[in-house]
Amino acid sequence: MNIKKITIGYDKVKKVEVGAGLPLAFFGGPCAIESKDHAFFMAEAIGRVCEKLDIPWVYKSCYDKDCRSAPDSFHGTGIDDGLQILSDVRDEFGIPVVSDFSDAAWAKETGEVCDMVQVPAYLCRQTSILRAAAQTGRPIHLKKGQYMSPWNMKNSVRKLESHGCDQIILADRGTFLGYGALVNDMTSFPIMQKTGYPVCFDATHSIQLPTSMGNISGGQREFIPYLVRAAVGCGINALFMETHNNPKAALSDANTVLDLKYLENVLHQAKIMHETRLELLDKFGEDNVHPE
Amino acid sequence: MSIQNKNLTVGNVMLPINDFPVVSQSTILKEALEKMDSIGLGIACIVGENKELLGVITDGDIRRKMLSIQKPLAAFFIDDTINQAIKSPIVVSSDTSLADAVKLMEEKLIWDVPVVDKDTLVGLLHLHAAIKVLLSPDFISN
Repeated sequence: MNIKKITIGYDKVKKVEVGAGLPLAFFGGPCAIESKDHAFFMAEAIGRVCEKLDIPWVYKSCYDKDCRSAPDSFHGTGIDDGLQILSDVRDEFGIPVVSDFSDAAWAKETGEVCDMVQVPAYLCRQTSILRAAAQTGRPIHLKKGQYMSPWNMKNSVRKLESHGCDQIILADRGTFLGYGALVNDMTSFPIMQKTGYPVCFDATHSIQLPTSMGNISGGQREFIPYLVRAAVGCGINALFMETHNNPKAALSDANTVLDLKYLENVLHQAKIMHETRLELLDKFGEDNVHPE
Repeated sequence: MSIQNKNLTVGNVMLPINDFPVVSQSTILKEALEKMDSIGLGIACIVGENKELLGVITDGDIRRKMLSIQKPLAAFFIDDTINQAIKSPIVVSSDTSLADAVKLMEEKLIWDVPVVDKDTLVGLLHLHAAIKVLLSPDFISN
């Protein structure tokens, strides 16, 4: 399958390449930016794991959580403080950073700081959001909406392309199964790769139980390793996991973030699975048992 | 009865480029089907930027695909037409004699043949149009 290589990182940060035949990339960090000290702590801790495992990675954290269920849930640091912290993380650790944005008016500033710009799943087909994302000139991490079929994501890709963007990574974060439940359709990865762009698996949002706790979402993070192994086996090019040193105290997605103490375990398995898959591709060729 | 067609070429009978479905390689299948339906022909030609023929898709190809590749209709509709197309179709040139072209269509059991001159799609020979000409009084002798 012909998949475009996406390069994340500008100026002096360590660039991360995502694509076919490349090492599995990791996008991770706490869901929301909580403080500069916490961001630095997390960047250092995740960086240590990724360096040990030799995994290229991008620090992920968001400045505005606009899809929280309750009006009084933590909404974020706000764009100015949040982007400053992300900029500081870049400077201090020399790693690329990514944040999402939920308002087209925030895209330009987000792209001026972030090495990659993320389009939230709920907004993945909003033309104004996609146009604003494309106009940043940064690679776009485009999450598949929980309500979208994987083949329908091609329409969102075409919208980005129509505004000059050809640096896209598509992510699956689960698909609604009725109310309050998500499932992962592992065929979504090869289907979305047919757009010509690499794909990512968002493990920690996939185990979410949307708004199952009344006014917040629950989650079953015990399933993270299972789904990660399955997704890597299905040929993802990048893995996304939100992680926190103290999930119970996390200001956002406390029920779904992976406890930092398990990060090395899960990433190590993912890396081995990915390398095994590449060996299988070398040995047996592409999965093409029923050509269209 | 015989058909006096020695001097008749494909170029005399073919449909000109705007009279049959022609789509680009980024056209999704749903749009190609709409074009085929609006023009009323069971074939679409897929061309590149310089009108070079990249492939064709026919009603029959789609029928066979749907039986073989049993993915949801919506997933078919959003596919690029070229991904479902026949990439090396049978073609003729405009100076091919009509008799030879019709004979080829009969042998291959096809209704339409793209007409390609110097790597450029210039027309489409449709069997109905060919028969209409061949059966006209000017070309039939008893």
